[in-house]
Amino acid sequence: MTLSLVLQALFAGVTNGIVYALVGMGLSAIFKGSRVINAMQGEFAVIGAMTTVLLLTKAGWPYAAAIAGGAIAGALVGAFIEVAFVRFMAKKNASEDSFLLLTIGLALSLSASILYFVGRDGHLLPPLGGEGVLIVMDAVIQFHALWLIAIGIGATLALRAFYHRTTIGLSMMAASIDADGAATTGINVARMRTFTFVLGGLLGALGGILVTPLIAVDYQLGLNLTLKGFAAAVLGGLTNPLGAAVGGITLGLVESLAIIGISSSYKDVVAFSVLIVIMILMPQGILGRAGRRGG
Amino acid sequence: MNPRTLLWLVPCLIVWAVLPFVVPRNIADLLVFTGIYTVAGLGIGLLLGHCGIVNLAQATFYGLGAYASAYCTVMMGLPSIVGFLAGAAISMALAYVIGRPILRLTGYFLALGTLALSAIASALFFEWDWLTGGTLGIGGIPKLDLFGFLLDRPSRYYFFVWIVAFACMAVAHNLIDSRTGLMLRAMRDSSTAAAALSIDLQALRTKVFVVCALFGSLAGSLFAHHASFVSTQSFTVDRSISFLLIPVIGGATSIPGIVVGALFVTFLPELLSKLGDIHQILFGLALVAVVVLMPEGLVGAFAKLRTRFARKGGSHG
Repeated sequence: MTLSLVLQALFAGVTNGIVYALVGMGLSAIFKGSRVINAMQGEFAVIGAMTTVLLLTKAGWPYAAAIAGGAIAGALVGAFIEVAFVRFMAKKNASEDSFLLLTIGLALSLSASILYFVGRDGHLLPPLGGEGVLIVMDAVIQFHALWLIAIGIGATLALRAFYHRTTIGLSMMAASIDADGAATTGINVARMRTFTFVLGGLLGALGGILVTPLIAVDYQLGLNLTLKGFAAAVLGGLTNPLGAAVGGITLGLVESLAIIGISSSYKDVVAFSVLIVIMILMPQGILGRAGRRGG
Repeated sequence: MNPRTLLWLVPCLIVWAVLPFVVPRNIADLLVFTGIYTVAGLGIGLLLGHCGIVNLAQATFYGLGAYASAYCTVMMGLPSIVGFLAGAAISMALAYVIGRPILRLTGYFLALGTLALSAIASALFFEWDWLTGGTLGIGGIPKLDLFGFLLDRPSRYYFFVWIVAFACMAVAHNLIDSRTGLMLRAMRDSSTAAAALSIDLQALRTKVFVVCALFGSLAGSLFAHHASFVSTQSFTVDRSISFLLIPVIGGATSIPGIVVGALFVTFLPELLSKLGDIHQILFGLALVAVVVLMPEGLVGAFAKLRTRFARKGGSHG
C-alpha cells in the first residue's frame, strides 16, 4: 500500500463523504423540524440531478442556470410533499411509522416516475471546473472534486449561519425545539415545517447535482443515497444538521479505507455495518451529547 | 368455534378449494405467490402489530431460505426437506445473533437498522457467488415431491403452499393467544409497566423476531421450489419493502389482514401492468393512499365502515 494510494483513497473518501453529508444534512434538517424520517431524501438528489441534466441537454440552458433550476426543483418537491401529505397526516396525529411508510411510498412513486418519464439510462453532468486534474504525490485529483468539497463546506457554513443568524432560521429552530412556545411568540409553526422540507429538498438536490459528474444518475440511485445520508445523519446525532456533515465525511473515509483495506465490493457492507454498530453503541452519534444541541 | 364464524369460514374454504381449478394458469400462479407472501408477511405482521417493530429485513431471511433450498437440492443433491430445515435453522440462528443487539434500538433507528441489514445481505448475496451463483443464480431446483405426488403445476403446488400458510397462521394465532401474546400486549401498551412486571422485553422482542425469520425462511424455500430458479434480484431491499407493505396494507394486528395484504401486493401490480409502464407509479401512489387514508390498513378501514353501517342500521330500527 503506497502513500499515493492512501492519499487517493482519503481524497475519494472526503469527496463521497461531502455528498453523503449534503443528503444527510437535508435528512437531519427535516427530522429536526418535523420529526419525520424522510425515506425519500435520496430521491431529492435524483430529482435535482435529473432536472439539471434535462435543462442542460434538452432545454439547452446554460450550466449555472440548469444547476439553479435543479436545486429549485428539489426545494419545490420538498414543499409539495409537506403541503400535500405531511400536513394532512400531522393533523390526524399519525404515528412515526406512518410517516416512514408515507415517505417509502413516495420514494417508490418518484423512482417509478423517473423510470417512466426519463427512462432507465444513467446520465452524467459535465464536471465543474473542466476536465482538468491536480496531481499531488502521484495521486490524481479532479478539479471537480475540489469544487465539490468547496461547495460542500460552503453549504455547511451557510446552513450554520442560516440557523443562527437569520430570523427564519432562528424561528425554524424555535419551532422545532418547542412548538407551543414558538407559536405563542407569533411563529407560524406549520409554515416553518414547510420551510424545513424546502431546506431538505434543496440540500438533497445540491448533493445529487454535485455527485452526478462522478456517478451517473438513474432512477435507482435514490435508495442508496437515502441509506448513506441516513447513516451520515445518525453518525452526527440525527437532530443536528451540522453533525451530519461530520458524519458524512466520516462515513466516506470509512468506505474508502474499506476499499483499499478489503475490496471495493464490500464498501456498502462496511458502511452499513458501521451504521448499525454506531446506532447500538453510540445512540447520540459520534459527537456525543454535544450533537443534541441545535444547529 | 361459534356458528357465526363457521358461517363465513365454510364458504371461504369452498372458494379456496375450487379456485385453482377454475382460474387460468397465470392467476393460479399468482395465488401460489399470495400464499408464499402470506407466510413471509405473517412474521412482519407479528412484529409490527404486536411489538411495534418495523422490520425491513425480511428479504434477508427469505433469501436465506431460498438459497438453502437451492444449494442443498441442486449443489448437494440432498432431499428438499433438508433445504427447508437448513434454511430455517440458519435464519433463526442469524435472527437470534443479530436480534439480540439490534432490537435494543427503537422506533426509526430500529427500522433503518433492519433496512441496513437488508442492504448488507443483498450485497453479500451478490458477492458470495460461489454460494449463491450471483446474478446468474442457481437454476434447476426440483419441484417438490410429496410421497410420490409431484407438485409440478401451480394448481397442485397451490394446496401445499396454502396448507403451510394456514399452519403458520395457526402458529401466529396461538402465539398471540398464549402467555407470550399477553406479554406482547403488555409491552406494546406500556413497556415500562411490562418491565416492572419482570417481563424481559428484549428476550420477548428477540423471540418474535426469530419467529418472523423462520416464516421468512419458509417462504423463501417455498419460493425456490416454485420458481425453480433463484438469483440475487429476488432478495433486494425493494423486496424487503414490498414484504413490509403486506401487513401495512392489510392491517398488522389481524391475521386475515395479512392475506388481504398479500393479495394486494401480488395482484395489484399484475392488474396495473395491463396499463403499461405507468403501473409502478400507480402502485407507489396506491401505497401512499392507503397509508394516508387508511392508517389501520384495508381490514381496519373495512371494520370501521361496518360499524358505521351497523350504527346507521340500528338507528333506523
